[in-house]
Amino acid sequence: MPSEDSSSSAVLEALGYALFVRDEVGALRLAGHAPAWLAELWPAARSAGAELPVADASPFLENFLIDACECWSADAGRRVESGPWVEQDAASGEVQLQARALTVAGRACLLIERLGAAFASQVAVLQKARETVIALQRLDAEIQKKEILVHCLAGDLSGALGNIVTSLRLIELERNSPQTLQLLNLAMRGAQEQRSLIDKVLGLFPDELSGLYGGTGEIRARANLAGALNLSIEKVTASFSEKGVRLAKPDALGDEIAVVADSAHIERVLENLLRNALEHTPTGAEVAARVSEEADAVLVMIEFPHEAPLTSRSAPSSAPTPEVLLRMRFCRIALESCHGEMGSRPREGGGTCVWVRLPKWGSSE
Amino acid sequence: MIQKKICMIGTSGVGKTSLVSRFVSSIFADKYLTTVGVKIDKKTVQVDGADVMLMIWDLAGDDDFQRLQTSYLRGSSGYLLVADGTRRVTLDMALQVQERVVAAIGAVPFILVLNKADLAPEWDMDAQRLASLAAGGWKIVKTSAKDGSGVEETFADLSRMMVSQK
Repeated sequence: MPSEDSSSSAVLEALGYALFVRDEVGALRLAGHAPAWLAELWPAARSAGAELPVADASPFLENFLIDACECWSADAGRRVESGPWVEQDAASGEVQLQARALTVAGRACLLIERLGAAFASQVAVLQKARETVIALQRLDAEIQKKEILVHCLAGDLSGALGNIVTSLRLIELERNSPQTLQLLNLAMRGAQEQRSLIDKVLGLFPDELSGLYGGTGEIRARANLAGALNLSIEKVTASFSEKGVRLAKPDALGDEIAVVADSAHIERVLENLLRNALEHTPTGAEVAARVSEEADAVLVMIEFPHEAPLTSRSAPSSAPTPEVLLRMRFCRIALESCHGEMGSRPREGGGTCVWVRLPKWGSSE
Repeated sequence: MIQKKICMIGTSGVGKTSLVSRFVSSIFADKYLTTVGVKIDKKTVQVDGADVMLMIWDLAGDDDFQRLQTSYLRGSSGYLLVADGTRRVTLDMALQVQERVVAAIGAVPFILVLNKADLAPEWDMDAQRLASLAAGGWKIVKTSAKDGSGVEETFADLSRMMVSQK
């Protein structure tokens, strides 16, 4: 039995703590007085020296005791916390608890705390934070859908307009009266105005991005390309495994490659490029990410077996989906905003190499 | 009686707690109340005539604010990997956390649950991705904690999978 210190026991009780000390046979015995919540929750453990019937009392505590035992057998001074959990008391009320295992003066102690107002505040903050995240995710999805819709509409309009312009040009070749030529000029001017309107609609994307930075829309921030590439690889790894496509990572990437870019944007650019490569790569094949340094810039290359002009605005043979187009558009805009660039070229031995070039931090563009 | 521990896993706001409430108490609350920590509920189900006591560990959503503590998974016989069918990103997050679960407790039976099936007009899941997961042997179900559809069946299916495992 642990020795009793009535004043410290009273303090613990007043704070809502229950202290159990492990005896020679491994039983956890209550030291001092039981706080009211303990007596209600586990009546068997309410008197001083009573054993906490862990297996019957709480499956959560039973699980935590495995970590606690490891802690008690380790060096003194180590402690382990259970994290919050909920128990149901006899009156069907929920009691929030948290346990700590620690060794004090050579004795293995288990301190169980009833969480109070501070915990309630923490929950309230998390509630608000999570509600905000969910609202943002919904908003983001909604914006993305609208962007795709606008992009598709603009694409459809552009196609129809192309047909009109071709027809007008063909009519121009005919023998036309001056009046018809006048009308043709009028129609051509109208078509050109329409084309410029479509360009404006598509130009909304760069404008929005510029709006984020105000003024010129230029980015002058330092980003860690190595970290961004590692994070983007981490994000897509599950999708690659799912499809059974190997992802070859760059050798010896190092901890930091400092470039001029916005960290979040460059991470999303690389993730987009990897996802696009994955979409065009069959099961069993490989996508390789490589990095090479130039005098003033760093080059990231994503290589995959499919031959697709993924970075061009129009792909004549295999048209990319609107989603792919949008992703690529975002990549181009994000890179242009930091004086970076992107492109694609045929890969040696077949396939495609999509590359991204970013200015090195500290270099003059 | 056979006793099995199952864990509810997924990011926050996907409806893990609501699924447990629906299954254990036939209750659904419209208001979203975040889970912080762990809550354990019990319910007995019948599998091939035998009673199986399910010990359901409802874990806080894994997100930027709180990471899943893998020590909570110790001794689990199976788990429900829950995503919100109206938020595509929750599937990505579920797949990420599933990798950590496998690393912690190995391959135990699980079901990918796409919850909020009652919100059909807002459904936003990548069908191709789901097809590829299903082709890889994943069991995928749609549920609604709100109207109860698919909930009992999902817990029953997981119970069967766990019992037949050993």
